[in-house]
Amino acid sequence: MTTFLTFTILGLVLGAVYAIAASGLVLTYNTSGIFNFAHGAQAMLGAFLYWQLAYGWGWPVWLALVVVLGVVGPAMGGLLHALIMKGLRDTADVTKIVVTVAVLLGMVYLSQWIWHPEEARIVEMFFGSNAKVEFSGVVIRVHEIICLVVAAAIAIGLRLLFTRSRVGVVMRGAVDDPDLLRLNGHNPERVAALSWMMGSTLAVLAGILITPIGGGALQANALTLLVIDAFAAAMFGRLRSIPRTFAGAIVLGMTATYVMAYFPSAWTWTSNFRISLPMIILFVVLIVLPQERLRGAAIRTRERYRVPTVRRAAVWGVALVAVVYLLKLLMVETSVSTFALGMTFAIIALSLTVLTGYAGELNLAPLSFGAVATIVVFHFGVVGTGLAARLDVWGVLLAVLVTAVVGGLVALPALRLRGLYLALATLAFGVFLSNMVLRDTTEHTVFGVTFSLFPNGSLIIPPLRIGPLDLRDGDTFLMTATVLFALIGVGLIALRNSGYGRRLAAMKDSPAASAMLGQNLVKLKLSVFMISAAIAGLGSVLMSSAIGSVASENFNVMAGLALLMLTVAAGIGYVSGALFGGLMSGVGFVIIVATFNDLAAANPDLAPVYQAIGSLSVVSTALLGIGVGKSPSGTVHDVVESYRSLRDARPVLVGGAVLEAALYGLTLAGIMDNWWFAILTACLVMMLPVFGRMVMARVAPDEGRPAPHRTPPELVGVDEPYTEELRRELDRELGLSGHDRGPTPGGRRPVRSGAEEGNVHVVA
Amino acid sequence: MSLLETQGITVRFGGNTAVDNVSVGVDEGRITGLIGPNGAGKTTLFNTVTGLQRPAEGRVLLDGVDVTRLPPAKRARRGMARTFQRLELFLSLSVRDNIRVAGDILRANTGSRVDVDKETDRVLERTGLGDIADLDVSDIPTGRARVVEVARALMTSPRVLLLDEPASGQTEQETEAFARMLTGLAEEGLAICLVEHDLPLVMKLCATIHVLDYGAVIASGTPKEIQESPEVIAAYIGTEVTA
Repeated sequence: MTTFLTFTILGLVLGAVYAIAASGLVLTYNTSGIFNFAHGAQAMLGAFLYWQLAYGWGWPVWLALVVVLGVVGPAMGGLLHALIMKGLRDTADVTKIVVTVAVLLGMVYLSQWIWHPEEARIVEMFFGSNAKVEFSGVVIRVHEIICLVVAAAIAIGLRLLFTRSRVGVVMRGAVDDPDLLRLNGHNPERVAALSWMMGSTLAVLAGILITPIGGGALQANALTLLVIDAFAAAMFGRLRSIPRTFAGAIVLGMTATYVMAYFPSAWTWTSNFRISLPMIILFVVLIVLPQERLRGAAIRTRERYRVPTVRRAAVWGVALVAVVYLLKLLMVETSVSTFALGMTFAIIALSLTVLTGYAGELNLAPLSFGAVATIVVFHFGVVGTGLAARLDVWGVLLAVLVTAVVGGLVALPALRLRGLYLALATLAFGVFLSNMVLRDTTEHTVFGVTFSLFPNGSLIIPPLRIGPLDLRDGDTFLMTATVLFALIGVGLIALRNSGYGRRLAAMKDSPAASAMLGQNLVKLKLSVFMISAAIAGLGSVLMSSAIGSVASENFNVMAGLALLMLTVAAGIGYVSGALFGGLMSGVGFVIIVATFNDLAAANPDLAPVYQAIGSLSVVSTALLGIGVGKSPSGTVHDVVESYRSLRDARPVLVGGAVLEAALYGLTLAGIMDNWWFAILTACLVMMLPVFGRMVMARVAPDEGRPAPHRTPPELVGVDEPYTEELRRELDRELGLSGHDRGPTPGGRRPVRSGAEEGNVHVVA
Repeated sequence: MSLLETQGITVRFGGNTAVDNVSVGVDEGRITGLIGPNGAGKTTLFNTVTGLQRPAEGRVLLDGVDVTRLPPAKRARRGMARTFQRLELFLSLSVRDNIRVAGDILRANTGSRVDVDKETDRVLERTGLGDIADLDVSDIPTGRARVVEVARALMTSPRVLLLDEPASGQTEQETEAFARMLTGLAEEGLAICLVEHDLPLVMKLCATIHVLDYGAVIASGTPKEIQESPEVIAAYIGTEVTA
């Protein structure tokens, strides 16, 4: 009985901290419409700062708390809102999610830069772990009592805020109809800023409280993911209800402690299971959540992608293979294999192009699906031993197939629901896989067959051999991976141009309209998710064989998030976006950091500067992702648009090509080194459109380009005087005609207003 | 018996009854009007009929079959099609592809060998959208965008077509052409239900009109009967009804 009570109290305490974290999440989601994936990272950053003040610099605990909770927490939230989140109105859900993922990664990179991950840091319980009270044999620590009291106070406080105070009511309105709120004289942005400040403070508080409960050691990745557990709790309240979120958090906390208490500790996977429990619960909640109403094209989003024709895509595919071949000639052997590794990442990134770019759905753990393929291929696809070991095509196909099926099974529970839930389900799967499968080094016996999923913690994946084509050779590997990328890329563009692709686009743009045409949305989402998982599986098998020996770190959730973020930043709607995103996340940053480290080693005087630049460039990756909020269609889109104007400036294009050929020739001849080639090529690519515009301006100064009418209709008569033509245009827009058509009930029903257009739910 | 029928449909949002015990029918080969002031429950009724909204009570019958529990896609496959008051076009597709995708869906569902491209051209011509077929759908004026929604619905070869304020935003010439097209469609046997605020248009086109106010049907009948109904006048002009 005492054991039971002790664990119940421990469960309550854990639940209380989850509740604090989850309520912050629900708060920001409901006032700004942004599901903050960086919530856990904020908690992590807050806990590290608290450690720095209270332990690193030895400040008194109360002072450290006042500074972290009273200043840092709100400031962090306020800054996030002002600098990043405010700019996310009118963007697709995908953009919103990716930007918060970028913030998460940025915070993790930042913390690893400031606080070296290999140093041990301990945050102790308030008043020490020996300060405790005893009730009839049950021992409770003071820290635990503090957790319970704080959670209860927050629960009551939030309840009062939302039901009794004016600010709270306005907060509830902020997400439903910001325009209406504005009309009533409130400022929705101020309300959102306030909620971000509160949410961020709650995250920080949760981070400080939970670290000692989990053992006290501060570890950036673990802490970031630990608070992701709170997502499961928030799901109980359907991301809306704070009381239900609290209830969910308590259930979660108690289940976790009971598993620890009553599952036999001899089972090696008990502790892994306990860690994965929130994710498992999240899945269960997803399955039982009731179907939501179908939504329409919520808003006119800013994302725009142009779809090339298949013929044009094929030309670009051939060009890519040619360029890679020419570049290969410049490279030493190690660079070739690094490049090949990057190309395999680009193939994985293609899985995101079809899923997110074409269908508007999200997979936050692409590498975890890749891990499934790798495990399958390791067990069933290797022929031969030692140096003669090779992957065989059938094994790879089997792996791809299994990954597609696993992908389908993971996605299925979430497909009835909104895209956000699928994103959460994939993240849950990723964390689950890292905890349960990739750590599973022990032997199992099932039906008399003994096996272990991840023997010795790493898998040796030999190169692939297809008939006479042996990928042991680095050059062959690179060219094969490039050709594969080009083939899949062109295939995807063909898919996008087919009836299937149009159905995907329709589903992405308006699920409701698409359903009303007879489209079974679940079936379509399932099929595209399986295609995507299959591509991720193929890419990952190649990636694993490029690395040679893979461990669980290679399939880390964070690495998958970075891949997604960079692909979106480059342009998720484009195959070329996958190429750049994949190359950057696969090898780009490794190369940059390695280069700066080399420079640091070569110039010991400047070593700190070089190392700082190296770290800064890693943190700045996150800035790329955050930049998605500013240009949601991606960098590739912007580059393509800037080159579009060059089509008429043929001399500039030809000149650029000749110059580039000359650079290549010089480099191939060994007169110039590869770095200069890379830098000059980058300059040329960036300068060409600018140069083109200068030339164009001289040849045809603004001729035949009448300035289009830009004053929005509601400002006609205010910003510019009425003319007869404008009046006619207005009449046309409003559906009025020259003479009166008699009274219409329009008297009661005004014409579509801006507010209406901004916020469209199908269900009125 | 009508092709499409609602029997005692009631929809509540919290304590608010948006649609109150509504029983109406839509017949083949005729245009049935559904009018009423803002907030009368017209769009909610459409959403319930098409399956986007679940009713608290009542049934929806299509050709005598109870479809109340079916999801929207299954109702669509049984011949129901609609347009949206707040435009729901596929913004990343061109006008042509907005219409073509309906054929793509039909083809994928039935496995039929319909020539989608040819059918799309036919619908484009029929609805008079040929001149803007290759424009981005986000670049066309509202009035024509409404016609694109109708064209897209027609592409599914529906038996019942539910139109939610299709004429708002159209110029007078566009409305005239639109009226001719609707009449033609009805003559071919299509059952059309028209929600519209342009009363002269409704009076001109509809055989039967139902008037909704505060979620309930307050009058049904021919255009003439409706125009003379004291309840309708009261609902629109807002005087007290003295019985």
